[in-house]
Amino acid sequence: MTAALVGPGEGAFAAPDAPSAAQLGTATGSATGSATDSAPPEHRPRRTLLDRTLKIWAILIFAFLFTPIVVIVAYSFNTGRLLAAFTGFGFDSFGALFTKPVVRDAVLVSLKVGVVAAIFAALLGTFAGIALARRPGKWTYWFMGLLLLVAMTPEIVDAVALLPWLVFLGQDLGLGIFNNGIVRLVIGNSVFSIAVVTYLVRARLLGMPENLEEASADLYAPPMRTFRKVTLPLTMPAILAGLLLSFTFSLDDTIVASFVQVSGATPWPVYVLSAVHTGLRPEVAAVSSIMLVITLGALAVVGIVLKRAGDSSAEIASTMAGG
Amino acid sequence: MSHASNQTNDTAPLRILADQAAVPGIRRALSRRGFFSLAGLAGAGALLAACGKGGSGGTGGGTDTGATATGGKLEDTLSMYSWGDYDAPEVLADFTKQLGPKLVVDSFGSNEELISKLVAAKGTGGYDILVPTGAYIPQMVENKLLMKLNKELIPNIKYMDPAFLNKAWDPKGDYSICKAWGTTGFVYDKTVITRELKTWSDFLDCAQKEASHKTSVLDDPKEITGMYFWANGIDWNTTDPAHLDAVEKFLTGTLAPHIAAFDSNPGTGAIPQGTHALIQVWNGDARQGIIESKKADKWQWVLGAPATELWMDNWAISSTAPHPNAAHAFINFVLTPENQLKNVDYIGYHTGAKDIEEKAKAENFEMLDLVFFTPEQLATMHEGTVNSATERTVDIYNKMKAAASA
Amino acid sequence: MPRRRLPKYALALPAWLWLIAFFIVPVAVVFWYSFGYKPGLFGSHANDVLSFDRYIEVLTPTFFKTFLNTLQIGVAGTLLCFLIGAPVAYWMALKAPAHLKGLLIALVLVPFWTNFLIRTIGWMIVLSPEGWVSQAFQALGFNPVSILYTRPAVLLGVVYNYLPLMILPLYVAFDRVGVVLREASKDLGASPLRTFTRVTFPLARPGIIVGVLLVYIPLMGDYITATVLGGAKGNMVGQMLASQFQTAQNWALGSAMAIMLILITVGSIAVMGGLIVLGTMPIRRRNRVRLQEVSV
Repeated sequence: MTAALVGPGEGAFAAPDAPSAAQLGTATGSATGSATDSAPPEHRPRRTLLDRTLKIWAILIFAFLFTPIVVIVAYSFNTGRLLAAFTGFGFDSFGALFTKPVVRDAVLVSLKVGVVAAIFAALLGTFAGIALARRPGKWTYWFMGLLLLVAMTPEIVDAVALLPWLVFLGQDLGLGIFNNGIVRLVIGNSVFSIAVVTYLVRARLLGMPENLEEASADLYAPPMRTFRKVTLPLTMPAILAGLLLSFTFSLDDTIVASFVQVSGATPWPVYVLSAVHTGLRPEVAAVSSIMLVITLGALAVVGIVLKRAGDSSAEIASTMAGG
Repeated sequence: MSHASNQTNDTAPLRILADQAAVPGIRRALSRRGFFSLAGLAGAGALLAACGKGGSGGTGGGTDTGATATGGKLEDTLSMYSWGDYDAPEVLADFTKQLGPKLVVDSFGSNEELISKLVAAKGTGGYDILVPTGAYIPQMVENKLLMKLNKELIPNIKYMDPAFLNKAWDPKGDYSICKAWGTTGFVYDKTVITRELKTWSDFLDCAQKEASHKTSVLDDPKEITGMYFWANGIDWNTTDPAHLDAVEKFLTGTLAPHIAAFDSNPGTGAIPQGTHALIQVWNGDARQGIIESKKADKWQWVLGAPATELWMDNWAISSTAPHPNAAHAFINFVLTPENQLKNVDYIGYHTGAKDIEEKAKAENFEMLDLVFFTPEQLATMHEGTVNSATERTVDIYNKMKAAASA
Repeated sequence: MPRRRLPKYALALPAWLWLIAFFIVPVAVVFWYSFGYKPGLFGSHANDVLSFDRYIEVLTPTFFKTFLNTLQIGVAGTLLCFLIGAPVAYWMALKAPAHLKGLLIALVLVPFWTNFLIRTIGWMIVLSPEGWVSQAFQALGFNPVSILYTRPAVLLGVVYNYLPLMILPLYVAFDRVGVVLREASKDLGASPLRTFTRVTFPLARPGIIVGVLLVYIPLMGDYITATVLGGAKGNMVGQMLASQFQTAQNWALGSAMAIMLILITVGSIAVMGGLIVLGTMPIRRRNRVRLQEVSV
């Protein structure tokens, strides 16, 4: 598993790094001049030295990012009582997913909430992002200000604010849907994710000229059709990127989730936090490893779908970073 | 406790989210549905005056008094809200296998979180079994969050050691039965600290000397102020301002600069990893950490002296439990000696059962001196309470943290 | 555009409503709490008597001391993230093979699919006195080392957890600049340094601002990240606020602290932004001319 995680990354670094035609093609800068060849020869030696240094630095940083993850994957084969103390090698800890319904349920709740929250945030965020990019006005400042406030509010404040409110909606107003555990967790995770997706979509569309949509409208395509046939495909990479990021945030949400959860819907991070009480067992590492594989698989699927849709991975990448 | 009788405490201000004018209507709607009244709706611990019927979903539960279950057919499911990983999986599986109800287990991270949730959720959490720490039980009873236990449905209480029942926070044992208890002490690294440490005074002294910047304390205001009070022969539940001033001066002025970390679960990482030299820790956590440490010999456990804490987590049932019969059956089930022994083995804490020490010894469990204590040691352990000093204690704790980060 | 009958914000309406329903309203209630008080031992808040007293209570020396520590960690953490992340983002955007870019971006995110607490244990296993780093040092004949629970450890924890939030926007910023524009600059005779300071950097600036804000803002409200590896040294204002909501059960004071924290964060951003704008004004004016020359 370690190899599967790190392998592709290291392969990436070993690949030749000469700028390719494809790379030039993806540049989204405002320059319109034709793609020139590489720099003149006299720049070569200095650039190579700088490039090498940059590459080594990047490899080091990727190694840094993966250090604890590799350790955790390795320690998921620990047969001891405590995760942090390696006493023997074995696969025992992976059995927890089957023998401990609590662990399995927590993981399933997290995955379910992650998927639903991501789709939901993508939906609302996409519309908001398109409006921000294509229909700017005075309201834009208010909306951007709101998104900033969302980012600035400490999670614990969201948590204590949201719980009584959801209870009020569910109990006092009788809206039973707000008593559903998954719904509550999705709401808890959605606020920040919507902000992020909105932002990604806006960034994506701001970097693209409106000509296509205008052309479509000029040809008397109804607005819905223009939206479906032109705007949406233009935005698609940002939406998919937003899905992934929302899913990532959702998987790690502890504070808000611990407050809004109801019976039968403890998400994984809340379980891990409360299990520290009696000492974290290697099974939490094993479950993490499995989740890592699942999420990597999901990512691969998204990548393949995108490739089929004719979008280059570089474009996805630039959208994911949102800019 | 009677259901839906006095809906609000007349003297208490009504505190709600809704507009004041809408209150009477909402209140009527609520009591019809048999849920908590609105008083204190949004606030953890605000006065909740009316108590809901004990269960809208139970077939035989929810009796007239709203106080307890009367027995009868067990419901299909049972929901437990507890600390994570706090029961042997085997015991939980056996319960469903032998008695039927499907068990749903959810986790919380602190008592405050548990209470905030129960009060704010007004019964929508759907929990049956709760596992609060003793000191918080009066608050939960006052807020009518707990159901009176029907002891007739829990005959296995006879296996419990009376020493661990009916403690000060629940003197008649109406609401709680011991689930597990522990105490506070410390471990030190004998390769770094060569003198013998025996008391909290030794701990505090050593923390300023050999173990400076290598000391960790529990991340809990009460435990930190507790150390000073225990060391100096003061009741650790004191509300005397002079005592609180003294502890503030000592913690922020003297001890804080020497503290490396505030860590409530060193057994999970710091002890097996050898991160600090002097560590305040709960006994079961210390045991796990030392057993798993590669250099187990270097660690010395010391029970806090001359006085220390006794904390006890308890089985209790939510006043709005949808499945009160199954809840009583579950508590009765886990109290059987076999199941208590399995839980001692799994979580590493004493469950309060009679004669369990001998059985554990017969099974050759490791390091039992960190699980079982002599009656003399037990006499030095005292329960904590939530009292008027709590806010001040938190304030002192924040000041100490600020001082320690400098 | 024909048929523009709907208001401009129509498409954003669902998000507006959602954020109002599940962010503005509940948080406004918390804001309202901040004018109330804690009623007795077992109550958490009441609003029948309103006052600014909680705000006065917030402004203690402890708060300022803790806030100063928070600001130090926030600024140092953000700066370090930038210094460490920028070359990586630059390499990914302008030097890495195009077909691997998607994979590289994914690899920046992958570590965050493992639970926060578990990642932390991973670090402790590596960094503790009995951990791998220390053992390697001992094998080489040095004394055991432990950087856990020191100032550097505070920053290590912060940088680790916030680095991706810096790298991603910077990546896009540099990607936008593109190879073409830089080559053009060089072809026109600019030195690499000049290309960087006059073309790459100014064009990437919006992305840099985004990256800095994305790290700085959440970091200021965070209270766990800095403590997991940094221990007592990583104490932040968020911790005081959380202890009011959780242990002390004083929601009024906690709310007042939250409002103060948000205000001070906005204030510090405004001050820093102002300084940067003032400091770079002359350079910007010159660059604008230059850029136009280059990009036309």
